[in-house]
Amino acid sequence: MNNIINLLKKDFIRFIKDKTAVLLTFAVPAVLIVIFGNIFGGSGNSRGKLPVIFVNESNYSIAAKVEEKLDSSGSLRLVREYWDDGRDTVLAYDTETAKRHIKEGKISTALVIPSDFMSDTSTSIKVQIYYDPKNEIESSIIQGSLQQVIMGSIPELFPQIMNNQINDQIGIEKNKEFQNELADIISETFKVEKDLILNQSDSVSVFNFGSSGENNFINDLIKIENIQLVGQEVKNPGVTRIVGGWAMMFLLFSLTGAATSLFEEKQEGSLKRLLCMPVKRSEIIWSKYIFSIFVGMLQLSVLFLFAWVLFDVDIFSNFLNLMIVILVSAAAAVSFAMIITATTSSLQQANGIATLIIMVMSAIGGSWFPVSFLPDWMQVISKFTLTYWSIEAFLQVLWRDGDIASIALHLGILTTIAVVVNYYAILLFKKGKIF
Amino acid sequence: MIKFEHIVKRFNGITALNDISVSIDKGDFFGLLGPNGAGKTTLMNIIVGYLSPDTGKVLFENNVLSQNKLGVRRKIGYVPQEISLYQELSAYQNLKIFGSFFGLSKNELTKNIERALELVQLKERKNDTVKNFSGGMKRRLNIAASILHDPILLLCDEPTVGVDPQSRNAIFDMLQHLNDTGITIIYTTHYMEEAERLCSRMAIIDYGKIISIGTLPDLINLLDKKESVKIKKHPGLQEKLEEISKLGSMFERELQFELLPDSRFTKNSTLFEALESLEIASEYIQLSRASLEDVFLHLTGRSLRD
Repeated sequence: MNNIINLLKKDFIRFIKDKTAVLLTFAVPAVLIVIFGNIFGGSGNSRGKLPVIFVNESNYSIAAKVEEKLDSSGSLRLVREYWDDGRDTVLAYDTETAKRHIKEGKISTALVIPSDFMSDTSTSIKVQIYYDPKNEIESSIIQGSLQQVIMGSIPELFPQIMNNQINDQIGIEKNKEFQNELADIISETFKVEKDLILNQSDSVSVFNFGSSGENNFINDLIKIENIQLVGQEVKNPGVTRIVGGWAMMFLLFSLTGAATSLFEEKQEGSLKRLLCMPVKRSEIIWSKYIFSIFVGMLQLSVLFLFAWVLFDVDIFSNFLNLMIVILVSAAAAVSFAMIITATTSSLQQANGIATLIIMVMSAIGGSWFPVSFLPDWMQVISKFTLTYWSIEAFLQVLWRDGDIASIALHLGILTTIAVVVNYYAILLFKKGKIF
Repeated sequence: MIKFEHIVKRFNGITALNDISVSIDKGDFFGLLGPNGAGKTTLMNIIVGYLSPDTGKVLFENNVLSQNKLGVRRKIGYVPQEISLYQELSAYQNLKIFGSFFGLSKNELTKNIERALELVQLKERKNDTVKNFSGGMKRRLNIAASILHDPILLLCDEPTVGVDPQSRNAIFDMLQHLNDTGITIIYTTHYMEEAERLCSRMAIIDYGKIISIGTLPDLINLLDKKESVKIKKHPGLQEKLEEISKLGSMFERELQFELLPDSRFTKNSTLFEALESLEIASEYIQLSRASLEDVFLHLTGRSLRD
């Protein structure tokens, strides 16, 4: 028994001394639980509201009520205005701008209440949802929420729509005649004034839907037009959406391995031998940087080729831009790996910290689920991750068939990350513990 | 050829090298002898430009060495203490990689690799993966990787650590041969036998300071007497130690005591008489020629391997 206790003590002491093991055991799961908890947790307010462009072209008062209900929705955030760079001012969205922004990937959905939303003679109401299903889950949630809110708003519209439908079917005169006769019967039977009964027919209380089988009926009354603006021609939407995110995560892992191999070279002594030869420290770092970029590009290329071979993901129609994104993403990922190597003092420490950061970046950068699922404050942080910009750039190229101008911002940010972080890493290397 | 002038190097407040000044001539086989942690490797690291001294300078062929002067490294070969090789590559691949940094032409490099492999007797195994080599073979290849560019100065930092006697002898012969061809060698070790066998001149270094420098006879001459007496530990010796210590300087080893007799014992016979008077049987007594170990003991009061 004593031996078991002593062996246990030994294992505990060694475990506590191994900071990497402690980090991977507690910190990584804890951080991921925080992220997932914020997304899928019990508090409905914790997850960020999904942004939806809202354009109301109708003057009908009920449209304003629909807008009001959408505004108070717990899952949607209506975006009515945008910043116009050309005019340097904030403008209200119109349908065309909304469609353009969706196509450009700035936002994924727009709800348009058209000018013919409803009229005095309408037999149904009409709304339009323009969307980019770049993320299936997000798209389903937004459309589901929109329909739910719209459905919840319409009881007030039913009397008039139905009246209009009856007018349409049997004619206005016959309908009036029918309503007069019905009012006469009710007035006589229940001793109520006829005018009051006629006015009452506009009231919501007359109609009390809720029974099963209402859906077809309601669908006839509400015409929701879903218009997909992007990705119709994509052969395998599912894989095309996710391939960039997963590729980035594995790229970060493999490149961290490539960069931290400096620690292995130090341990085996070959690094010191090189440093004692006519070789500059900066040459060693640059060679490692270029090698890692090459490995990263190769890995991403192979992953996309796999996606093409196995899942028919179209990588060739926008091949040049895809390769540019691959190059810049690899450069940014390598700079991340280099800074990890420069700021840590051992292979174990580097691997532990890298694992933590890669998991967090993947979770909040969009590798695993849409960034729009995150709480607002996390969405802000996600924009500081290279994963976010790489995934968005891949989507722009593969999903939207975007040209170089459409990925200019992404490329600019990724290049800035690559240059600044790598420059800092080189400075740290020069006085770091590894050399 | 190489000259150290007042080299000082500190790490986190600990002085690793304290005002080191030495001059080494062309063709010397110079030994740096000292216990672990004495500062030998730090001095080597400064020569090869891996470290910079805090103060002082190193002159190589009358030029000040610095970390930025990479050209000088083409003339210097460095055999690190560690097996500094790519274990997953073959011997030939290792040599080709390390040799490629010295600006040799392809033909020159190939020729030098073949020559180095022959010297370290690994020609037959050149295509084998290094990780499958024995410790001795790795050590030999470690040396081969350092001489591909025909250095005029070869720095060997304890190149025989963990090597079997046979491989050690092979390494000694190899280094001796290189020295015979005119290469100046600086050799660090804490094995006095190695320094005695190889080095034409040596410095004894302890706690970052050079405490003595010269040829082997120069250093032995520092001792009052050129012999030492080893007394094997045996029952009854303990109570006689106080008396024995009056005969000279005495140091305890694992299995024996070592006595460096003082100057009054000009003749060995008088020393033996004194020991016999203490009733120490002759089978426990052994007279040896004084060694570097004894010099180190004499100078520091400690064993080289303490």
